[in-house]
Amino acid sequence: MLSEKSWFGRQVPQPSEHGAGRPALVALGQGWQCQRCHQWTHSNDRLPNGNGYCRQCLQMGRLTTQDKLYTIPEPNRFSQQSTPILSWLGSLSPQQQQASRAVLQYLRAHRNHLLWAVTGAGKTEIAFPALAWALAQGWRVAWCSPRVDVCLELAPRLQRAFATTSQAILYGGQTRPYTYSQLTICTTHQLLRFQSAFDWIIVDEVDAFPLRSSPMLQSAVRSAQKPTGSQLLLTATPGPDLQRLVRRHELAVTYVPLRYHGVLLPQIDVQIVWHWRQRLENGRLPAKLTQQVRRYLADHQPFLLFVPHVVDLQAVQAALDRAGILDAVTVHAADPRRQEKVLAMREHRIPFLVTTTILERGVTFANVAVIIFGGDDEVFSTAALVQIAGRVGRSAQYPTGEVTCYCHSQTRVIQGAQHMIGQLNRQGRLLGGRIS
Amino acid sequence: MQQYKFQGDYALRRVFQEVLTQVLLDCEYDILVPIPVDLATWQNRGFNQVTAWLTDQPYFQALTVKAHHKSQPQSAKSRAERLRTSQPFQLVEKAAPLLAGQRVLLLDDVYTTGRTLRHAAAEIILGGAKAVTSLTLAR
Repeated sequence: MLSEKSWFGRQVPQPSEHGAGRPALVALGQGWQCQRCHQWTHSNDRLPNGNGYCRQCLQMGRLTTQDKLYTIPEPNRFSQQSTPILSWLGSLSPQQQQASRAVLQYLRAHRNHLLWAVTGAGKTEIAFPALAWALAQGWRVAWCSPRVDVCLELAPRLQRAFATTSQAILYGGQTRPYTYSQLTICTTHQLLRFQSAFDWIIVDEVDAFPLRSSPMLQSAVRSAQKPTGSQLLLTATPGPDLQRLVRRHELAVTYVPLRYHGVLLPQIDVQIVWHWRQRLENGRLPAKLTQQVRRYLADHQPFLLFVPHVVDLQAVQAALDRAGILDAVTVHAADPRRQEKVLAMREHRIPFLVTTTILERGVTFANVAVIIFGGDDEVFSTAALVQIAGRVGRSAQYPTGEVTCYCHSQTRVIQGAQHMIGQLNRQGRLLGGRIS
Repeated sequence: MQQYKFQGDYALRRVFQEVLTQVLLDCEYDILVPIPVDLATWQNRGFNQVTAWLTDQPYFQALTVKAHHKSQPQSAKSRAERLRTSQPFQLVEKAAPLLAGQRVLLLDDVYTTGRTLRHAAAEIILGGAKAVTSLTLAR
């Protein structure tokens, strides 16, 4: 038996006694519009009995023209909390405090806000004071991200920092059932099941795939938010759309150009290697690259070797083998042992990982160097390169490190990444950023 | 397959229609019998994932799933459990005269242990068919 709380601020196909039901698919022009994901469905997408169904949000459970969506308007029925809400005991650096005050100020003004903070600035903690304030108001808050890894890493931290607040984590394929909670940590896909539920939505890694390129998920974030609500967008690398909104003063922005430990970002060192692709096809790596790998191994310096595509993993592994470097471990998005390998890397049980862009963000290794092989390949966007470079020097113990990018030629994308890092470091220097 | 069969994306049937049509042209058979889905699945999914692949090939739905046969789907079981599954099918009324002496081709989507197809084949043979062969899309 589900309690009526299961419908608060949600839109689900299960009928409710108290909730209003409306058709899940509404006829529009030649086809239908799905009321859950707001995407169009073609009139050819029919079942044998003639019912239309939505192909766009199929993975959330199929909706047909026979289904209805039920909702109960969000009543914010949470127990009042008397104890201090924020149980986090850490402290913020002066830059973090300043950003944190800005976040709170825009939140109180119900305004959307972009927190543009460099990789390793401590974005999560910057949002804590404002989150504590929102929860004290009895607001319902969602902390969402397009990346499930980000949510999984975040949930225990938020649990510790807000120990008395009811929290739920939602992602595809989870086993725990839904519970009505004041703080919801979820993937952006899960927001499709909500309607006008949240007073505040924090979108972590707002420029990450698939949110960046999915109108469905972008509309999911909008409609999960109450009309009176607002959003906080977190990223180190806002895309051109967000930057345009900022330039037009349609979106408030706060910069945190300096990492919490006060050391500037490592700049990307570009090494030109002609025809690396052809050489790789012949089973060879550039001599410069193998020398660098040998040096890292001799110095016991852990590192990540990024390659453009999944198919390149094997080729690079084979080429390393041929050069006498036999311990290469590869990892990609669909690798069933991905978590295990990342953990092994973190615990220094393996000296390095050969990886695709899957490890570009949301992962922290204490003391790591980065090599990008084939940085001129089109899979590496400016944002991806800045994020990859941002893996280096994240801990206060090891605040520096090397980022090397091997490519056939300097491209505009690589220059854009160097430019972005340079720009942030210029601002960081004004705030007293150090080189080491 | 996951999206097509379990999430019910009927539009994906077109992906395999062409290849199946080609293969069926090369098969020698008299009657095509697709593996049926049970009533609950039919109501839920809204289509039979096997017959949806057929474009205009004639077929005969000679088998049905017994009404009382209600357990978890084969795809949710372990290998040992799958192999222990009891006969889920029965012949439809008046199937026997049509099947007598005919070469029957069974059509299914996924072959894992072969348990489903062997049960189906046993029923078809009981119906008097001369020979039974099977075609599955994936193994």
